[in-house]
Amino acid sequence: MKNFNKVLIAAAAALVIALPAGVSAQDAVSLDQLLQQVRQGRAADNQVNQQRIAEFRANRARQAQLLEEAKQLRTQGERRSAQMEAQFDVNDKEIIELDRQLQERLGSLKELFGVLQQTAGDARGQFEGSLTQLQYPDRSDFLTEFAQKMGQGNRLASLEEIERLWFELQREMTESGKTVKFPATVVSATGDEEQREVTRVGLFNVVSNGNYLQHVTETGRLIELGRQPASRYTSKIPDVESASSGYQPFALDPLRGQLVGLLTETPNLRERIDQGGWIGYIIIGLGILALLVAIWRFVALTGVGARVHSQMKNPENPGNNPLGRVLAVYNENKAVDVETLELKMGEAILKETPKLNSMLTFLKIIAAVAPLLGLLGTVTGMINTFQAITLFGTGDPKLMAGGISQALVTTVLGLCVAIPTLFLHTLVSSRSKSVTQILQEQAAGILARRAEGK
Amino acid sequence: MELGGTVLTLIAVLTLIMWALIFERLFFLRARYPSMVRKALAIWEGRDERESWHARRVREELVSVVGQALDQNLALLKTCVALCPLMGLLGTVTGMISVFEVMAISGSGNPRSMAAGVSMATVPTMAGMVAALSGLAMSAWLDNKAYSERELLAEHMTMDH
Repeated sequence: MKNFNKVLIAAAAALVIALPAGVSAQDAVSLDQLLQQVRQGRAADNQVNQQRIAEFRANRARQAQLLEEAKQLRTQGERRSAQMEAQFDVNDKEIIELDRQLQERLGSLKELFGVLQQTAGDARGQFEGSLTQLQYPDRSDFLTEFAQKMGQGNRLASLEEIERLWFELQREMTESGKTVKFPATVVSATGDEEQREVTRVGLFNVVSNGNYLQHVTETGRLIELGRQPASRYTSKIPDVESASSGYQPFALDPLRGQLVGLLTETPNLRERIDQGGWIGYIIIGLGILALLVAIWRFVALTGVGARVHSQMKNPENPGNNPLGRVLAVYNENKAVDVETLELKMGEAILKETPKLNSMLTFLKIIAAVAPLLGLLGTVTGMINTFQAITLFGTGDPKLMAGGISQALVTTVLGLCVAIPTLFLHTLVSSRSKSVTQILQEQAAGILARRAEGK
Repeated sequence: MELGGTVLTLIAVLTLIMWALIFERLFFLRARYPSMVRKALAIWEGRDERESWHARRVREELVSVVGQALDQNLALLKTCVALCPLMGLLGTVTGMISVFEVMAISGSGNPRSMAAGVSMATVPTMAGMVAALSGLAMSAWLDNKAYSERELLAEHMTMDH
């Protein structure tokens, strides 16, 4: 690159030097000759100048003429412009006048168009959320177009269009009072789309095959609710579907599907128990265990009590029951003195009481432990809640609801187990206490009376 | 009543049972108990000797039979009294559950929608407390009465020395 630049510079320099050298080399051989040449050249230049001046003078007249022509052209243009401006003003005034006339003549019609636009817009909004949209989906295009047309203000509504708006409003009114059947595409709970016969009850609910359907306004689809409300609501649906006339009871949702949605969201018993988590299951397990134990002890102690009472009436023949076994001690030890007999009886009673009192402590422990477990569940639930608060803040109460339900459900379960267990424990323990009292306080008396009677 | 939900009905049933037990005890003390005491005293007084080991055992038996009759249903009554506040607590918790359910569905913006749950939470608590207080006095009095009557009977059955 550098070399190339050098070559270029050298070539340019050679050219500059060569040109005048060439001229002088050609024409001027000596200084005298050069002088001669210069003199001649000056004379030639003078001549050319004279010639140009003459030429210029000759042209001056022509130039003036050209200027004159241009000036004329300008005045002509100016005049034309003024003329046009005047015309424009006239036209403008005319336009304003005509516009005024148009407004004047539109007058009440303009108001009418405003009303038509508003009504069409409102009706479209309302119809799109309405259940009749399933049957007449093409009306919203017409209404949108019509509202737009009326909004522009420079086009007139045709009589047919106004009549159609009237017709659509009237049809919605009439349909809202009807229960009709029509085929529609339903998205089932499993996600399949299928063509089905559905029944529309007014504008309130759509049902099919004994199930409530949900109308999604945004997509205009019918979705079968995966979870239906309680059977006391759904049981009336088949009657309505099969009926062709007359009155039928029906669980109507006046909020057009909102209440049905809320009903399906409330958890059932099983889901509530699931909310309690593993602590909830432990509590329920303990409760069932306590119930079984209580029933077993209650039946056993009732039987024992009945046998003891019949034994009391018949002390001569000691049978196979706690009192009988205590009385049998006397029969075996008739010869011994009173104090030894008392000791032996005490021993026999001591042998009987643990059997009568067995499992009572267990019931009492469950009654005490169940609310404590509930408290444990409450605390773990609260831990979950606070974790949710740490992660997401307190803005959304729905996020905290899970932990709080666990907290409360376990408490409820604890109480639900503790209350019946406490009750059963009292029943069972009063039975056992009465038998024990008979053994401890009355057995000796029965023996004493027998001994005296002899 | 409808403010308190199902738990309030349970409390009402429990209170009913409690007061039925209380009236049963009062009726027993007024109507049947005096004749029982008379019968026991007659048996005791009818004995020819009231000093031996046998006599003491028989006396013990007589007192025990009457005492058992006196104590009957008292434990159940006490349990009922103890259960009333527990039921109230149960009502509180179920009420709170319904409050949080409403909150989960409609958010915490509308206090009016939560009012039903709050009254379901508070009314049973109050009802349980009132029921327990009303029963507590009676059950304590009956308990005391049973104990003193038993002691009194034992004192009436004098022993010969």
